[in-house]
Amino acid sequence: MDKEFITIRQKETAVKVQNTRINAVRTKDIVKKGVRVYKDGKIGISGAVGDLPDDVLIENAVKNLSTNIEYPYKLSGDRKDHRCYNENPMTGEDLLKYSEDILAVLRRDYPEFDFSESISTTEVQWNMKNTAGLDLEYRDAIIYLGLILKEKKSANLFDGFLMYFGRSLDMDKFWAFNRDYLAAYNNSVPLPEGDVLPVFTFQFNELLGFLANCLNGERYAVGSSIFSGKLNEQLFNDKIVLKQNMDPIYTAEPFFDMEGTVLENDSYTLIDKGRLTGVFTDKRSADMYNLPHTGAASGGYDDMPMLQGAPLRFDVDSEDIKKALGGRPALLVAVSSGGDFTADGSFAAPVQVGFLFDGERINGKVPEFTMSSHLNKMLGEDYIGTFENKHLYLGEGLTLQGFNMKITK
Amino acid sequence: MYRFPEGLYVDVRIEETYETKISFKKTALQQQKVRSNKGAFIRVFDGDRWYYSSITDISRVQESIDILAGMARPNPDINNHPIVKEFEVNTGTVLNFSERSVTDIPVEEKQALLEGYLHLLDRPEVVHHTSYYVDNKTIKSIYSSKGTAVTFDKQTCGIRLSLDMACGDKKDKGTVSKAAIYFDELKNLCGFFSEQVEKNIQFVREAEPVEPGIYPVLMGPEATGVFTHESFGHKSESDFMVGDETMKAEWALGKTIGQDLLTIIDDGTVSGNGYTPFDDEGTRGKKTYIIKNGKLTGRLHSTATSAALEEPLTGNARAVSFEFEPIVRMTTTYIEKGDRPLKDIIAEMDKGIFIDTVKHGSGMSTFTIAPARAYKIENGKITKPVKVSVVTGNVFETLAEVDAVSEEFELLSFVGGGCGKMEQFPLPVGFGGPYTRVKRLSVQ
Repeated sequence: MDKEFITIRQKETAVKVQNTRINAVRTKDIVKKGVRVYKDGKIGISGAVGDLPDDVLIENAVKNLSTNIEYPYKLSGDRKDHRCYNENPMTGEDLLKYSEDILAVLRRDYPEFDFSESISTTEVQWNMKNTAGLDLEYRDAIIYLGLILKEKKSANLFDGFLMYFGRSLDMDKFWAFNRDYLAAYNNSVPLPEGDVLPVFTFQFNELLGFLANCLNGERYAVGSSIFSGKLNEQLFNDKIVLKQNMDPIYTAEPFFDMEGTVLENDSYTLIDKGRLTGVFTDKRSADMYNLPHTGAASGGYDDMPMLQGAPLRFDVDSEDIKKALGGRPALLVAVSSGGDFTADGSFAAPVQVGFLFDGERINGKVPEFTMSSHLNKMLGEDYIGTFENKHLYLGEGLTLQGFNMKITK
Repeated sequence: MYRFPEGLYVDVRIEETYETKISFKKTALQQQKVRSNKGAFIRVFDGDRWYYSSITDISRVQESIDILAGMARPNPDINNHPIVKEFEVNTGTVLNFSERSVTDIPVEEKQALLEGYLHLLDRPEVVHHTSYYVDNKTIKSIYSSKGTAVTFDKQTCGIRLSLDMACGDKKDKGTVSKAAIYFDELKNLCGFFSEQVEKNIQFVREAEPVEPGIYPVLMGPEATGVFTHESFGHKSESDFMVGDETMKAEWALGKTIGQDLLTIIDDGTVSGNGYTPFDDEGTRGKKTYIIKNGKLTGRLHSTATSAALEEPLTGNARAVSFEFEPIVRMTTTYIEKGDRPLKDIIAEMDKGIFIDTVKHGSGMSTFTIAPARAYKIENGKITKPVKVSVVTGNVFETLAEVDAVSEEFELLSFVGGGCGKMEQFPLPVGFGGPYTRVKRLSVQ
């Protein structure tokens, strides 16, 4: 009987902020353990919050074998890969000092705003080991600054965010960007003329979520994806390269999937120069539908590994936003909440906070608007490009992506 | 039970959870998981700052109290601090689910129940499906240095059928679900699930893109629930209001913000996902009229916001799990039912959109609803299905645009998912209400 062990340790210090002052400090020390046993082509699982002894968890997993859930796949094994993505985590004491400093500047220089929510530093360690020789370790430490911004003259719940996500915080860069950003809040400008305008986003979750549904290997194989049957077809603009990207630099998640698969270069190309070249799979879906295995098993620490979503990322394909715009005014989406795609790819979303953008700097806050388009146009004729984010200090590894979109005031 | 240091307010929340999750992909069992976990959240307050700790080793609660106390500055007058004075002191045990507990049902019986519904999905248009049975029973104990010592439980269970559908080139996903408190309530639901599956298939087969524009929108109980939660519920969470004079003025109690027919309630005592007999600070759950006959009459509070705004406690301090501190959240929030039959409301609509079910919603200055199933209303009748990306409205204007609420009324709970507020997601909440008409909303 093979055995597999997943252990997640998380230590966090979070500073909770209300009315631009620290009102609480929270620490977490959490251990979660999952155990799987494999016998005669079956799998049994168990898990617990807390540092329970392995033999208790093994006993529970063995009992779970009675469910007769088949798992006739070769275990990932014979691999040791230990990685640490941040050897110098910010300490709780440093976090408090940085937070006090940031909030003092915000109180002094930006009394027209109120800031609340949290700034945190989180250390995580994931271990996945099994009796087939697998020994994977992912360690990381992430600083997350997420402050709700509220204009004191506004009756809104909130009017935007200050954010940063990364492994170190460069205060000079932080203030250089955020002083421009906060100045833009105080400079209301009208929307540029035109029904169709260049729109840039830096975290287009609706698009990535919709593509994840379409590129799910199981959905592709059974015919419920709008991409079904289109493998090797040119779907989009020939600049576009989209990958299942497991690189923790971007995801702050383990470089391995929940079946212990490690991809070459931590990525697998699904759309290459606009052509559909693959769909993402776990071991079960790859076997069942005769598709290449891409190591996309997900699930909780104590779940059965299964195919759900996968971390997708567009490659940078363009260099200079300003040049691409050719002098046209563009919009930068700072907050867009609640939009969605219809099943056939039509898209609409309100933009609650947007800025006028020249490709490098944000130059004023525009009124709320709605952006709309269709997947085929957004990633086809109306695709401007995916750019390295050189100017907006919002987090590590963020890209800026531009599309020409229909704008409704 | 615990040694509470002098000069500090301290509370400890211990959560014991029991959960079952069973899933099938098509007819193959994918997972059968039963878990029991324990964790604790400790808070220490010195009158100036809070200190929190979340731990999974329950034997270290006292050690955590002492560590947090070491970070705090003892305050001899802590019991006269406005927040500390505001805390309710409750004692007792409210275990409503010792009988008919989901923990007493064999997992095989739960699996068999779910498996018994799978044949309803054996339709050519349903090309794939994933089905879930889930249950959760949580027992919480809260102890405070003021003397609170309460233990209470809550329980939910449910079935969710997630469908991948294809009718030729038309493809979509759909979800059919039923939430309940007791396992027995999930039995004999073939008729309900069958009808919902049929509606989903019909929608995929026949839905056409909507003509974008401004429409009168009629919302079913599910959509009304999401609308209420997103358009106004979050506005009533008073942590957004502490220290904010503009919001206090805009949302002053007594202000008229809707027609007489509009009454919105948050009620922690209602059975379902939002059931909160005590909140996570040990305050007893309450029924709060947020809007009564169109006038703003109340807000939702934690102890800290109640003290800051000098308004009564409402029992709305909730945490998503033992890993987080309680913050102001809704419980079961709904529009009270009206006195008009639904058929009369529809009959007077020449043109409009009916939102039956919802994928998700959000609420900032603009609230959004992303419909799952929506239909045209033409000449007083609900007619063809339409695909809608998003319905939006301005939170400051839309409540005044509610011009009809039906006598038909239903409270609901989602199976899986819930409400998100910053880092705390998903919190189970109850929602629902009557069929509700809004005169003008933007439909894209």
